[in-house]
Amino acid sequence: MAKKRITRRQFVAGAMASTAVLGMPYVSSAQSAGKLSVGLWDHWVPGANDASKKVIDAWAAKNKVEVTVDYIPSQGNKNLLTIAAEAQAKAGHDIMAMPTWWPHAQSDLLEPVNDIMAEMIKKLGNVNGTSEYLGKLGDKWLAVPATIGSQLKGPCSRIDLMKQHAGIDIQALYPAGAPPKADSWNFDTFLKAAEACHKGGKPFGIGLGETSDSVDTAGAFMQSFGAALVDAKGNVTVKSDAVRQWLEYSVKLAKFFPADAPAWDDASNNKWLVAGNGALIMNPPSAWAVAKRDAPQIAEQCWTHGFPAGAKGRFAPFLPYFWSIWSFGKNKSAAKQLLVALSEPDAIASFVAASGGYDIPNFDKMTTLPTWANEGPPKGTLYHYPNPHNHQQLSITAAPAPPKIAQQIYVQATPTKMITRHLQGEPMEKTLAWAESEVEGFLR
Amino acid sequence: MADATATVVTPAKRAKPAPRSRLRKFFEKKSTIAFFMALPLILLIFTLVIYPAFYAIYLTTLNKRMTATAWMKNCTYLPDWICTNIPFGNLQFLLTRETFWMVFWQSCLFAISAVIFKALIGFVVSHFVHNVPTKGQRKWRGMLLVPWVIPAAMSTLAWQWLFDPSYSAFNWILAQFDVERVSWTGVAHWARFSVILVNVWIGAPFFMIMYLAALKSVPDQLYEAAEIDGANWWQRIWYVTLPMMRNIIAITALFSTIVTFANFDIVRILTAGGPLDKTHLFATWSFRLGIEGGDIPLGATVSLFMVPILAVAAAFILRDVTRRGNEA
Amino acid sequence: MTSVTVDKAGPTRARPKYGSMKRDRAWALRWSYFFLAIFAFFFLIPPIYMFITSLKTSAEISAAKNPWWVFNPTLSNYVELLTSPAYIGFFKNSAIVSVSVVIITMLIAIPAAFALSRMRFWGSATLATGVFLTYLIPETLLFLPLFKMFAVFHEYTGIQLLNRWWVLLVVYPTLTVPFCTWIMIGYFASIPKELDEAAIIDGASWLQTLTRVFVPVALPGIIAATIFAFTVSWAQFLYPIAFTTSIDQLVLPVGIITTLIKGDVFNWGQIMTGALLGAAPPLIIYAFLMDYYIAGLTAGATKG
Repeated sequence: MAKKRITRRQFVAGAMASTAVLGMPYVSSAQSAGKLSVGLWDHWVPGANDASKKVIDAWAAKNKVEVTVDYIPSQGNKNLLTIAAEAQAKAGHDIMAMPTWWPHAQSDLLEPVNDIMAEMIKKLGNVNGTSEYLGKLGDKWLAVPATIGSQLKGPCSRIDLMKQHAGIDIQALYPAGAPPKADSWNFDTFLKAAEACHKGGKPFGIGLGETSDSVDTAGAFMQSFGAALVDAKGNVTVKSDAVRQWLEYSVKLAKFFPADAPAWDDASNNKWLVAGNGALIMNPPSAWAVAKRDAPQIAEQCWTHGFPAGAKGRFAPFLPYFWSIWSFGKNKSAAKQLLVALSEPDAIASFVAASGGYDIPNFDKMTTLPTWANEGPPKGTLYHYPNPHNHQQLSITAAPAPPKIAQQIYVQATPTKMITRHLQGEPMEKTLAWAESEVEGFLR
Repeated sequence: MADATATVVTPAKRAKPAPRSRLRKFFEKKSTIAFFMALPLILLIFTLVIYPAFYAIYLTTLNKRMTATAWMKNCTYLPDWICTNIPFGNLQFLLTRETFWMVFWQSCLFAISAVIFKALIGFVVSHFVHNVPTKGQRKWRGMLLVPWVIPAAMSTLAWQWLFDPSYSAFNWILAQFDVERVSWTGVAHWARFSVILVNVWIGAPFFMIMYLAALKSVPDQLYEAAEIDGANWWQRIWYVTLPMMRNIIAITALFSTIVTFANFDIVRILTAGGPLDKTHLFATWSFRLGIEGGDIPLGATVSLFMVPILAVAAAFILRDVTRRGNEA
Repeated sequence: MTSVTVDKAGPTRARPKYGSMKRDRAWALRWSYFFLAIFAFFFLIPPIYMFITSLKTSAEISAAKNPWWVFNPTLSNYVELLTSPAYIGFFKNSAIVSVSVVIITMLIAIPAAFALSRMRFWGSATLATGVFLTYLIPETLLFLPLFKMFAVFHEYTGIQLLNRWWVLLVVYPTLTVPFCTWIMIGYFASIPKELDEAAIIDGASWLQTLTRVFVPVALPGIIAATIFAFTVSWAQFLYPIAFTTSIDQLVLPVGIITTLIKGDVFNWGQIMTGALLGAAPPLIIYAFLMDYYIAGLTAGATKG
């Protein structure tokens, strides 16, 4: 994962290929259409960065722009640190990849991208609701929903263990290449399955920690109960019946989680699956991919599928990334062109392929690419991962609260903390009172 | 330490009887030369510590979106016209938060217990090392210093791996003896224990080496005299060793208290503050609020809150040190 | 000053006339070895476990068999890291940064410590104490203002500091200089004044006195400070993670944590290998210079 800087030599090579500049030596940047520096998310899949590099190189050569690409990892929230620092300094990259809440958090400093978004929507289909909620402020598109890094955290089950302990044939509910027949896959079934697998010594590997995997799962359950801590208008709705029902159910369910679930981070569920400790985890297919490398016999038994349905619908946690342009960027028009190039159907398909199906495009027409149907073993394990049949609603925890408040709820992991508190014996009303005071703090 | 000069002045003056220009004289004055020698240090501190610290104070007075000042409001014991003109709204807000007081308490618990254990282990181990014949000391010192030498971020990763919920190597050993597995980072008290343990592990060798240096500087004659006077082992430590080591104990403790209190990487990597914020320290909580939560002024306020607390600790310890210094 | 480097009589060289005392000391020695072994064991568990893990393949790590044993030892983690240009780059950056920071620290701290321990000027006493107080201001408070300062600096001078490894040369000294200055003030104070007084009388300037006469004598103290500065700058975490982003600008701890951990996928074998290799340079330095370190601290620390 070396830094991808287009050196002069590479640039000349690229320029040679495009006949326009053939034979013209690249002397200095004065002759080029300027410089552009891009901060992209550092993909964990080996080689996935090369796919974006390739698209950018081709674009750079064609437009004679000198592009510097930095791949910034989300590990240790390095990317958030960089975003915060660049926003403070009003200097840094031109294009910056931002996860989930950050376009809203930095909305004052982002260049609107309505013009290119209109084009993209025309070409690629509508943007899913969650990406719109996170990427749009009023009528203003703050950033372009990015394919790279956007992920869905539905369940990944062990086919064998689910059959053995819970009597559920997950492949029958979610057959490869066909619409799901999962009406029976609801919260009751899920709770019973969790209990059965817990008894069988293979508990569901769902965390109650403060990182996104845990929070996302808790939030999707919450939405399926129609519950929210803060409503779209910004009113605190902690002490509502829906929240109570959600909390009651979650605690029942959490009794069947591993004992140290409150300490889990985003890597814990992966290890849980790969170690063969449990029958189900909530994660994008990175865990399965690691299993494929380190424990192939476990990977062969993995099946990625949809979320169980609750009273108010079927919600699955979606974690989108965005490509945004800093308003203090030096080369905004070039930045927009590059974002268009990164959102061409071919480019998107290449990112999905390079990531082994991990990345999910945020546009409707792009969720049925061949990569997901073909990945395996077992073949078709990722078929239902990108939600090809609109079987579930994509959601993010703390929506529909105004994003700046929702961000606090998400980052402070209020939902999982509520579950943990109640689980550890705190009375429900006390937990709700605590959550209310927390949320009131976020409103300031 | 700065009292070394008085005697030197006379010969220096005698050496240049001829009258010189005032400017030249100014530059040849010893205090001027000394000032210029210390100037890089002064500049470094002012430009890279003091100035940004004041800028950070300014940051703490802004509102969340950093567009206006966060004035205080609704003070109970101040008239409104004063209250609404004090720009510490963030601090006022923080002081009403339950979590803030929890973090405050945890930081103190963490720093105090970690420093005490580091000091104790350092003290004990340095004595053992000191007891060993000189030629054998090297390898012991080398082995015992390893934790201090490995970059903390990396050794914390190793600890994280030792504590891992699925793969804990400690739990594997416990399982061999049919002891129930421990949720090292999952339950509040164990998580606090783990964080303090890692900090003690990393910091104790530094105490060990500082104390060892101090032990070596205690003149042998003092012990011999004490021994002849019939002092037992305990009395020798109490009346000879401890007084001789007092300065170094104080300074090492101070340095360690500051670094421990403001610790970021160990907690950040090991528990990230969880479970239920029960291991957050000021620095990690400030990161959570400021960087992850997007409220930079609030995060900066949390960080800033460390300064007065540490200043009080430093005042106590340093007062002691200078007093000892003057007696000596 | 020589007295500090000479080791005290070891317990085995105890005077024979106290027979019981000799026996006591022999026992004390045995107990010392016993407890030292226990402490060394406690101190060495994590590095040993790192070493064990570094010899494993990721498949073996995932298999969750006896974690304290290597069933199929492999050097592939070492080979992979040592042939990875990115890792070599981290190593190189760390080495350049740490060595340069040590030099910068010494250039600032030695004259300052000399001035503060030997000469007097307005505010010098305050400075000598106050220099330590810079540690009171935490890094978490400073990094955002510093980031902004460097951005403004770039605007005015065109010199880019952000996302360049040399920015660390600017910020690390704030962490190393105060402690080093303090150690050396103490050490310098333990050197007899007659030494530099004689040099001054002989007509040497202050600067000559410092470089020709003083520094050679004060070497143990300076080496102790050097080692401290090196360890601190080698291990820094928050500043480099805040100020550097591009892979080719990262130093070792940040590089390992941000590139060997990918999202939620930890590559434990390589992480442990990287950490062990990363700990090697300071370990080697300590192994060779430990005696100076102790000697330097011995005088410096107690006279503080």
